[in-house]
Amino acid sequence: MLRKQLCLRNLTKPLTMKKLLIVLLLATSFLSKAQDVAKSISIDSLKESVDQHSMKFGALDERLSTMESDLSKLTKFKVSGYIQAQFDQYDFKDHIGPGSSTQAAPVTNTFYLRRARIKFSYEALDGVKFVLQPDFAFDKVSLKDAYVVLNDRWTKTYSLFLGQFDRPNYELEYSSGSMETLERTRMASIIYPGEKELGAKLEANFDTNYNFPLKLQLAVLNGNFNLGTTANQTKDIDSNKDVMARAVYSIKLPSKGLGIDLGAHGYFGSTKILAQTTPATVFTDVNNQSFTPNVGDNLKKGWYGAEMQIYYDFLGGMALKGEYISGTISETTNPAQVNSAFNFNKVREFSGYYATFIKNIGEKHQAVFRYDVFDPNTKLTGDAVTSAGDLKISTFSFSWQYYYDENVKIVAGYSLPINETSTTVGGDFLKDKRDNTFTIRIQARF
Amino acid sequence: MKTRKIKVAAFLFVIMSIGFSFTSIDKITVKGSDTMVILAQKWAEVYMSKHPETIIQVTGGGSGIGISALINGSTDIANSSRPMKSTEIEKLKARYNTLGVEIPCAKDGISIYLNKANGVSELSVKQIGDIFAGKITNWKQVGGVDSNIKLYGRESSSGTFVYFKDNVVKSDYAPSCQSLPGTAAIVNAVKKDKFGIGYGGAAYAEGVKDCKVKKDDKSPAFAPTAETIKNKTYPISRYLYMYLKSKPTGATKAYIDWILSPEGQKIITEIGYFPVK
Repeated sequence: MLRKQLCLRNLTKPLTMKKLLIVLLLATSFLSKAQDVAKSISIDSLKESVDQHSMKFGALDERLSTMESDLSKLTKFKVSGYIQAQFDQYDFKDHIGPGSSTQAAPVTNTFYLRRARIKFSYEALDGVKFVLQPDFAFDKVSLKDAYVVLNDRWTKTYSLFLGQFDRPNYELEYSSGSMETLERTRMASIIYPGEKELGAKLEANFDTNYNFPLKLQLAVLNGNFNLGTTANQTKDIDSNKDVMARAVYSIKLPSKGLGIDLGAHGYFGSTKILAQTTPATVFTDVNNQSFTPNVGDNLKKGWYGAEMQIYYDFLGGMALKGEYISGTISETTNPAQVNSAFNFNKVREFSGYYATFIKNIGEKHQAVFRYDVFDPNTKLTGDAVTSAGDLKISTFSFSWQYYYDENVKIVAGYSLPINETSTTVGGDFLKDKRDNTFTIRIQARF
Repeated sequence: MKTRKIKVAAFLFVIMSIGFSFTSIDKITVKGSDTMVILAQKWAEVYMSKHPETIIQVTGGGSGIGISALINGSTDIANSSRPMKSTEIEKLKARYNTLGVEIPCAKDGISIYLNKANGVSELSVKQIGDIFAGKITNWKQVGGVDSNIKLYGRESSSGTFVYFKDNVVKSDYAPSCQSLPGTAAIVNAVKKDKFGIGYGGAAYAEGVKDCKVKKDDKSPAFAPTAETIKNKTYPISRYLYMYLKSKPTGATKAYIDWILSPEGQKIITEIGYFPVK
């Protein structure tokens, strides 16, 4: 019985082992198949996922390139601007002073928005730039700059300006927002009314490519900007073109902290008589002798100027800037071409100059003193002068600038014009006219 | 009456000028060139450890950003890997009435980075310029494999961007040139891109190979090494500058004197640039 049982046990044992082996083989085979399927699924899905992400990155890259291209266009577009708001206190009592006042009730002080300008510039291509600068006032918008500049790409020396731009002169090209004094000189406002002109200007700067610090400018201009009615300023009114030329040479002595810019310029133009009145309007010449010009006559208008700017690094920066201009100016009272700052039927030999001293004090302060003189008639002095417009005016200007931050500066300034006296002219001009002005200005710039 | 007013105004002007002129600064801010940022940080770190009374704050951003900051008064020292432009000097003259003070403080070679797997190992300056201008677009045009060239460059505020454009590219960069925010980013991009090419300071070339550069087709090619940059045989080398508004005084002067001393110049070599003295 026991033997039978043992035999049976021996028989069943290999049978169970066999079954187990088969089960194990089947299971292994199944598992390995299952693993293969899982592996294949996992690799496929991974590949799919990578492809999907790759496509997403591709799409993102494409979007990024588009955005980058759009942004690079934006970097070519620049906007800057400034607002100058000020309070003026006029020092006069007996006579009509600046502004629209009457003798009976003169305006002695006012808030005033001197300039509110935005400048847009766009560099369309390498070497091509557009500039547009409107000036905003509460009742109008006027155009200060509107020009295209074509820079030569090859020698990087020449630039051609076309449109309305600054006349080539140091004082005029120096931005009103950077100017240390509150206003430009009397001379600049009379001989270059409105600072700008319509025309073409060629500039050559030999410093960029040849390391030779010489700059040459040649401009051909309509010659009637800011003269006469606004409508007459949009185009030339006499077909005569005025020409300006300027050269500036810079000397740099970095070891001494010294820089000197020396320059000269010339204006070659004319004033054409466009109309005559009945009876004929009589003009006076440089010797104050009367003459009657005919329609079509060209009166002389031309001058030469010399300029110098010295920069010296002494306890912080300081600068001395000066300019002297002398020549012949002619103007007419014809409303089509009148110069509101020189409203006479005259031809005059004039001279004028200024010297401006600027001292930077610490990081944020700047003290400024300027003395400027304009003599509109160098041939006559004192009582020989018969009209107020022929009197010489010397002006002392003081200002203190505080740079609050990179955008804001506060300026306090005092201007003391001193006129030549003449008993012949009489009135205000028997002594120095009371016409001083104190100004406090805040300028915000971006 | 007017004469008296003028005298009073002149007196006040003189007193205030003298008073304000002696204002001194204790904190020095340094801003600008990304190429110089590692060097400037090291200088500041070593100097501050020896002069704890002086605080030096160093930031990058690019040479153009540093010079703009100098002009608008938000930094004392502008680091620049290119000379100041005449337009920037004009702005400095308008605001501070100085021409600025230029201090060449180190020399640097601009390396042309190539991927280590790239078969090309030397190029002429003209070829490099044409590659970055987009005139040469395939590696086979310069002796490599038939594959498009991928360009990596800096942003326009970078002095290296300007120097490379003015002296090597000599025209506009190709629109396909990808602008990256720093030399390290360019090195990283070229390291990963078999067909990439980039440029930047010699001190950054880790994990990429420096392309040997020929002045022209007939000249021998040189790699940017201390010797070739010093003896100017490596054709793309330049000075690195520090710019100030006016002559340095006080703590700023002491710091600059130290940078130009043998101790300060020694750090330049440690970083991977080359001393001026």
